[in-house]
Parts: sequence; structure tokens; C-alpha cells
Amino acid sequence: MEDNKPLINKVMPESARNFAEKQIGDGEKLLFSIVGDLSLDEKYSESAMLITSCRAVFIDDTYDNGFFSAAFSDIAKVTVKRMYGNVRMDVEFRSGETMTVFRYTYAVADLCDVAASFINAVASGGSVDAEMDAVKAVYENKMRVCPKCGRPLIRPGAECIKCQSKGKLLSKLLKYVKPQLGLLIAALIMSMMSTALALLPPSLTQRLVDEVLPNDDINGLITIVFVLLGSYLIGTLLNATRGYTLRIAGDRIVRYLRNDVYEKAQHLPMKFYDKTSTGSVINRIAGDTNTIQAFMLRISQEIIVQFFMLVGITVIMFLKDWKLSLLALCPVPIVVLGAKYFSRKIAPFYRKIWKRWAAVSGVLTDTIPCVRVVKSFAGEERATEKFKRYNDEWYKVDTNSAKITTTFPPIVNFVVTCGSLLIWGIGGKWTIIGYGGLTVGLLVAFLSYVSMFYGPVNFFAYLSDSYQGALASAERVLDILDAEPEADLGKGNCPEKIKGKIEFKNVNFSFDRAKKTLSDINLTIEPGDIVGIVGTTGSGKSTLINLFLRFYDNYEGEILLDGVNIKDIDLSYFRSRIGYVQQEPMMFSDTIFNNIAYGVPDAHIEQVINAADIANAHDFIILQPDGYDAMLGERGVGLSGGERQRISIARAVLKNPSILVFDEATASVDSETENQIQEAIERLISGRTTLMIAHRLSTLRKANKIVVVDKGRIIECGTHDELMAKKGKFYRLIQIQSMSEEVRKQKAEENFD
Amino acid sequence: MSERIYINADEARITYKGFCKVKLEMYDGRVFDDLEPRRLFPLSGLTKYITLLSPEMKEVALIRDLQHLMPESRQAVEKCLDEYYMIPKISAILDRKEKNGLLKYTVMTNYGQRSFDIRNRHSDIKNLYDGRVLFRDSNDNRYEIPDITKLDRTSFLKINIDL
Repeated sequence: MEDNKPLINKVMPESARNFAEKQIGDGEKLLFSIVGDLSLDEKYSESAMLITSCRAVFIDDTYDNGFFSAAFSDIAKVTVKRMYGNVRMDVEFRSGETMTVFRYTYAVADLCDVAASFINAVASGGSVDAEMDAVKAVYENKMRVCPKCGRPLIRPGAECIKCQSKGKLLSKLLKYVKPQLGLLIAALIMSMMSTALALLPPSLTQRLVDEVLPNDDINGLITIVFVLLGSYLIGTLLNATRGYTLRIAGDRIVRYLRNDVYEKAQHLPMKFYDKTSTGSVINRIAGDTNTIQAFMLRISQEIIVQFFMLVGITVIMFLKDWKLSLLALCPVPIVVLGAKYFSRKIAPFYRKIWKRWAAVSGVLTDTIPCVRVVKSFAGEERATEKFKRYNDEWYKVDTNSAKITTTFPPIVNFVVTCGSLLIWGIGGKWTIIGYGGLTVGLLVAFLSYVSMFYGPVNFFAYLSDSYQGALASAERVLDILDAEPEADLGKGNCPEKIKGKIEFKNVNFSFDRAKKTLSDINLTIEPGDIVGIVGTTGSGKSTLINLFLRFYDNYEGEILLDGVNIKDIDLSYFRSRIGYVQQEPMMFSDTIFNNIAYGVPDAHIEQVINAADIANAHDFIILQPDGYDAMLGERGVGLSGGERQRISIARAVLKNPSILVFDEATASVDSETENQIQEAIERLISGRTTLMIAHRLSTLRKANKIVVVDKGRIIECGTHDELMAKKGKFYRLIQIQSMSEEVRKQKAEENFD
Repeated sequence: MSERIYINADEARITYKGFCKVKLEMYDGRVFDDLEPRRLFPLSGLTKYITLLSPEMKEVALIRDLQHLMPESRQAVEKCLDEYYMIPKISAILDRKEKNGLLKYTVMTNYGQRSFDIRNRHSDIKNLYDGRVLFRDSNDNRYEIPDITKLDRTSFLKINIDL
């Protein structure tokens, strides 16, 4: 991007171009423009905002002159109001008047945000050049999209993963077939041999009827019977071996495909899982890969075999009798046209069936693991009702598609049978009247060939059915395989030592464009600091941590660790240096030992025991009948919340991380357990940079810095004493909690009395 | 927790103040200024349960049903809601193209003609049980087909592929 050229997001509408050419004059320079998509009266139309070195101009047909100009010197403040599906920019003038100057959809919301910041900064005396740096960065980010499909790219100039592959949807999956090429070629040769063998019997039958039987040739009869027996035997052997070979190749294909999809699913960013249900992902790994495997085998085997069979039989038929052959071809155009129509009709059904099935799976994955909650709220009936409703929806779509899928094959059969009848009728008449030297044997053999000929015709007619099914499956599997993985631009960059200095610089983040979750986060945490992050529910505390853990990378601004942008550090290494303890610790279906050793699978037994000891977990583990070998369920069935939490702390201890993150680790446990957990945490944090989100402010007694987050912004930051003296939000939170603690104590005393 | 103020019928007067804000005057004498109406159920209940938020984004009152308000009050709230919520209603699908896995729709809406991209047909197009279809485009803008059965046949065939 050249410095002297104004920044643009797209070609300006004519009205804006005219304005820029005629009315931006001497000494004034157009810095950047934003082409909007809504008029002030909320109609889709092209509008524009031109920012020059001294004013902002808003081009919109709803203005009397088609534009409105506001000098920076007249502006007191620009505010952006994000609403539902549209955004309003209001200008408050120094005269006290306020007016809405620009309206747009979320498509240009990022650019307008930075424009508002620019105007505010310049209007309050800031330097144009300094503010333009931020504007340039947002423009560059906005332009970092695939020119073909408009999807954001991982980095400037990167290849778009979607475009790279979608054009050759199924061919991309052929890479799973290639390693099995040897087996598949062997199976193919066997197929062709058995097909060639299948062409033999009709010819022998013709000889039998026309030569052997009329001439009472016993030797000839025996020879033909044995030749037929031999061909059947060899055919059976070939088919059995081919079936086994294909099974092996197929299983390998699906194994590698599933492995890849699962591996990719592990590396997908959190934003993928925010939008995609786990049921749908499981469905893709379990079901769709099978559909693709079946199709891969079909196209790599049967298409070739059936094609050769079709050509072979057609040649034989024409050699035997070209007139009958033409008769036999009559139904083919009808079948081909019918298949095309069928293919168009059936395609949407496959998507619908899958969507409905994904919804059914979604209910399963939601309710079965949460069966305790369902039961405790007497929700069995409701869960069943919901499942039935979704299942009924699936049933409706499936039965609707069945109308097409079950009607088409009999129609094809009928048309094909009509073809045979044509041969019987006309060929039979020619045999009776002796036309063209047609013998009974030839007619019988021909009829056999005709029935064999319609096999491949049928196959190609139905191919579109399985092709559409596979295409729908491939699309969903590729949705995972081609999804943008977690960006790891710093792969291989593993700093030798992490001191633990963390800096958030101008960080802004929103899950979607409707609402900003974090705004203007600026925070410096020194090595060894114990930082408490407090705030009301939904204030953005956990999001702050999620950004640091790199669960979401699409934020504005920078997060630095020891002065290095965290995006430039090897992702795996980065996370391995952080110990993360969640509010709701997840336990894997494995032993207590393996759950603790999850982050360090090759840990020595004594290291694990030591970690459990530090986490105050050892004492209850030894009381389990199976000790460290006790199996835990998906959600740690059999352990209390506090016990699960201590195992999760032990997991963090074992990792020996440089930085520790606690996300309301003691929020859902009683006071006694809280003390035990608190004790474990205090042992763990000594000397390590620690971020603690705390609901109970009493747990922050060790924190040397407290950050108060409210509505996505840091509103207070300082030591406990500083914040108490400030009598702001933290002070109020402390007071509210002290009061509720007091009430709780009183209640407890009353109960004991 | 203070008691929630429910506005059931004509016990309040609501007047439009501009910039998506209203003034609420209860007939018991209480007055609240600069309130912002928001739908509690923007997708499933367009006229029911409208909350009135203070400039600090705290709920001041809750309107149970817009239809039960006095006409002037109702119009004031509706004006704010119309301005705040922009969910264009699609009346016809003019074009649908699929390229590089990206769906490009051109539609006619009550706000005019619009083209937008859908990145993922599985998660960004929702077919609801009451016949509505909701879209979310690649920029997080929302669109709605109010009743799919009322679309013309050509439009229906275009959208049906993605449902």
C-alpha cells in the first residue's frame, strides 16, 4: 500500500468520486474512504465516508445536497452504536447538537470503528500521521482476504484453503486411494478376469442349442458342461479373493481418512466449535467417512469393470447381430435421461437427510452425557419429546427421499425389461420366419447378453445416487479437513526460558460483529506477578484468558509474552508452558494416574504422586479402592467437584508451567474444600506468573495486582489497598461480598442454634 | 434484587426521544428518561417482552406485550425497535451461485436488493419449525424468510437446495 494514495475498501460510487475530485481542494488531502452499504433511512444503497486531513464527509442520497461535511474542529465526539444487523455513527458537535451521520451493516463495521477512533483522536488534537498507522493496519487486515471467495486468509498472500480444494472436491480425497493402488489394481484385474469369464457362458449356450443338442453330440455336451463348471469355479475364486482384497483396501482408506479428520478436528480453533455442534463433528468422523470409502471403492473398481463390460458386450452383440443390437439399445436414452433427472431431484435430499440426522445426533450428544441433569430436573419426558420431534423430522425427509429412490429403480427395470421384450418379440418373429439367418441358439445367447448389457446401464444410472450421497459426505468431511486450523505462524520458535512477562496492547475482540466483548485492553503483568482478574459475570474476564491461551486469534492489537507476540511462538510449546485450571474440570475416561499425567504422559510415578500431594489430592486418591488406577468417567463420575478440581490442579503441577491460569477454580466448592484447593494453589503459584479469575474475592489474598473488568474494559487496576482506597467497583464488589458472607454466617449460626 | 416493573397495559406513557430512546412515565408518577427498548426474544417474539434499558444498560421496566400499549406509546417503542433491529425480510431469491464452496445469494428484501455470501450452509442457514428460514452472512448480518411456503416457486427451488 503506497503512502500517498488514499486508502479505500472498494471502488467509490460516482457521487463520492465526483465529490472527491471537485470539492477536496487545496491544502486538503483525502486520507481514506469507506464505501458503506446502507442509507440513513435504512435502505440498501451505496454511501461513502471520506476522511480528509481536516474533515469528514458523508455521502448519502438522503442528505439534501447528497452529502454532509463536518470539520474536525467542530466535532466534540464521534460514537458508534452497534445495533442488531446495522450500525449507526453519531456525531456530537461542540455546539451541543448531536446527529446521526452514517449508517451501515456489519460488513464495514471494523473500518468505521477505526474511522471513529481516528476522528476522535484528531478532533481532540492528535496527530494525523500517528493515527493513520492504526487506520492502515485495519485496512490491511481487511484486505487480507482470498480474492476468489472473500474468506479471511491466515496471513497476507497465503493460499486460501477452501479455494485450493473445493474445485476438486472428490479428487482431493483420492489421495487416500493412492496408497492402496496395488491392492486395487489386483482387485481390478480379478474383476476384469471374472467379467471376461462371465461373457463365456452365453456363447457356449448358443453352441449347445444350435450344434450339440440337435446333433446328439454327447462328447461336445460333456466338454461344454466341464468348461462351464471350470469357468464358474474360477469366477467364484476370483470373486472371493477380490472381495477380500477390496475389504482390506477399503478398511485402510477409511482408517487413514478417519485419522486425518480426527487429527484435524483436534487442531481446529475454538471458533469452529462455537458454531458447530459436537454431534455434527462426530457424525462426520463416524458416518461420512464410511460413505466416502464406499464411493471411492465404487469409482476405483466398478466403474472401470462396468465400463469394460459395457463395451465388451456391445462389441459381442454387434458381432452376433447388429439389427438386434440396435433394438437392445432403444431403452438406453430413456434410462440416461431418467438418471439425469433423478440425480437433480435426489441431491437436495441427501443434504436434508444429513442435516436432520445431525440434529438427532446433537440431541444425543447433549442429553446422554448430561443424563444426571436431565434426571434431576425430571426432564426425561421433555428430552424424549425433543428427540422424537427431531427423529420424526429425519423420518419425514427420509421417507420423502425414499419416494424418489425407491421409484426410480423399478422404472429403470421396467424400461429395461421392455427392451428384452422387444428382442423376444421381434427377434422371436425373425427366428420363426428365418429372417437374416437368426437361429434359436443365437436368440437365446443374445438374450443373455442383453440382460448382461443392462447391468452396466443400470449401474451407471444409479451411480448418480451414490455420487450425490458421497458428494454431500465429502463436502462435510472437507469442511473439517479444509477448515482453517489454529494459526501457528511461529512454529518452531520455542524460547529457551519463559520469564513470564505478559502484555496486552490495545486488544479488541468480538465473537461476532454484533457486540464487542473486549475493548481497549492494555495491561502489563511482570514476571512472578499474581494477578487477580475480577468483575461481574459476563464482564469479559474469561475471554481475556481465552485470548491469552490462544483459543481465539482473531483479535485486534497484540498480546506479548516476554516481549514476543504470542502468535509468533510455537503454539504447542506456548500452551505447554501454561498450567490451566478450569472452573469445571474435565476428566477423561481413564485412570486417575493417566488423568494427572495427561500433559506429561511419560512422567515418573513418583512425579505424579508428588504432584497429587502438592495439589492436596493424594490423601483422597489413596482412599479409593483402586487408588491411582481408579477409572474415571467422562465427567469424573465418582469424584466430588473439589476432588476433580484437585486432580486438575495436580495435572497443572506436573506440567511445571511457567505461567498459571486459574479460571474460577474454587467457584463451585464448599468453604472447607476451597481452603484445601487454595492451599494447593498457593504452593503451586510461588515464583510463577499467575492469572486468577476469582468469583470469591477472598481467594485473591495473595494477588499483588488486581484487574477489574467491566463490560469488556479494564476499569480499575492496582493493588488491593489501592483499589480499596479508590472506592470504585472493586470496593463495591468487596462490600457486597462481605455483606453476603455476613448473612451466610448468620444463617449458618441460626441453623446450628 | 429490586422488583421488576411490568408494563401490562395503559399504566404508562412512552414517548420517543430520538436516537433509539424513549421516555417512560408511569401513572404512579415515576419517570425514567433515555431508555432503550430491546427485544428479549428478537427471533421468536417480536412484540412480546420488550425490555427498557437505562443508559447504564440496566433493566428499568419490561413491556409484556406491545399490542396492549396505548397507540402512541406503541408507536414510540416500535420506532426504536425498527431502527435498532435490522433483519431484512427476504421476499424473493433472485440468484444463488456456488463457487469455491461459498454460496452467493442475491435476494430482494424489504430494505431493497442485496447480495451476500454464506460461508457454511450447515451452520449459517437455519430452517425453523414455524416455516421461517434465518440466514447469517459472512459479515454476521442477519436475514429472514418469514414463511418459506409463501416464496414463489423459482425462489423456493433455489433455497431448497440448502435447507
